[in-house]
Amino acid sequence: MIVRTVRLVVQSRKEQELIDITPAVEQVIAESGVQEGLVSVFTMHTSSGIIVTEGLPCLEEDIIAHLSKLCPSEGDYLHRRYLSIDGRVGFNADAHLKSVLGGISASFPVVSGRLLKGSRQRIYFAEYDGPLSREYVVQVMGK
Amino acid sequence: MIDFHTHPLLVEEFVAKDPELLRASQEVFFIRNRLQPLQTFHLELEVSGLQKAIILPVDARSARGCRLFSNEQIAELCRVSGRFIGFASVDPLQRQAPDELERAVRLLGLRGLKLHPSMQGFSPGDREVAYPVYEAAAALGIPVLIHCGMTWAPGCKSVNPMELESVACDFPSLKLVIAHFGWPWVHETAMLLLKYENLFADTSCLYFDAPWEFMRHIFGERLPLTLVERSLRHKVLFGSDYPRVEIKNMVRALRQVGLSDGALELIFAKNALCVLGEREGS
Repeated sequence: MIVRTVRLVVQSRKEQELIDITPAVEQVIAESGVQEGLVSVFTMHTSSGIIVTEGLPCLEEDIIAHLSKLCPSEGDYLHRRYLSIDGRVGFNADAHLKSVLGGISASFPVVSGRLLKGSRQRIYFAEYDGPLSREYVVQVMGK
Repeated sequence: MIDFHTHPLLVEEFVAKDPELLRASQEVFFIRNRLQPLQTFHLELEVSGLQKAIILPVDARSARGCRLFSNEQIAELCRVSGRFIGFASVDPLQRQAPDELERAVRLLGLRGLKLHPSMQGFSPGDREVAYPVYEAAAALGIPVLIHCGMTWAPGCKSVNPMELESVACDFPSLKLVIAHFGWPWVHETAMLLLKYENLFADTSCLYFDAPWEFMRHIFGERLPLTLVERSLRHKVLFGSDYPRVEIKNMVRALRQVGLSDGALELIFAKNALCVLGEREGS
């Protein structure tokens, strides 16, 4: 069995955005040598996420807008206090909640050495607290 | 628009060249965010609608055995990016501090001086230790930004803005900026701003709650908004304290307190230009 784990970096450019990482995931699969198996994608941050949806700019905006309605930045959050672990006040509870609601990972089958997904499905890195340089992990397992 | 109070501590290109920076940032400056490429700093400015940022070092070699960016590193960052205005820092406990400041301004092109009394272990009113540095700054015609108010370093006594009154009196031509609006001594800060023409204060304070809540707490609850709008509109400078707080959040917070467009224009841009000597004050 082959297990290939790759850490990738993505630079978000906006406060909130969905960044299509499908080509990067496909490249990791191609380089892994796995023909039959599973690929998983995880974000390394609690104020970001991994989302799968149709690759349309309108939907990208709708998802961000809807999560923002569910988790408004001006909400009354206990997280707004000094956090010695960071040396700063935590005031991005909305970003953490969006991450919880949107999810932090996605998995797809790998068949004949390729990502098996619906023709309209795209894999996105979801930035909820940018702009930041972010890390995510792609792990391919199989034979 | 200018951010008058940022620290380039977590710029990973510089930490890669000088790993000691990371230790000093974490153990002396108490900031533990992840490192970010320089590009993130630029994008943060763009998202916030700001053109420039003043980047601040702290020379705490005598008191803490470290420098949070050297003057040379600040100058290098300013060469790499036209969006930065570099300030110097010198260690007042070292006899050569005035000469170092002159070199930083004349040879490295830095535009102001940053001091942090509690981190650097001196008292702002100390005539023997601090005054030679103020004399050098006054002779060079550069502003001095001094940490005031809440500090994560030991020694809160030395950062009470009232410590600056004698300095403001003795150096009337020296522009002094009270950092962090001197919180929690905001009444003292306001009094000093009213009293001394050469004193200014920046808005880079956030110690609890969200930025907009904290900003409203100072401008509107602790101090009447009319005080800023009518009397201090030429004395307040926008500062974020990035990366302790994201610039975009502080911009949004200040815009939400209810100041007029005219006052905001002064606070976000014109007052900074005046302190930097690029514009006449009014």
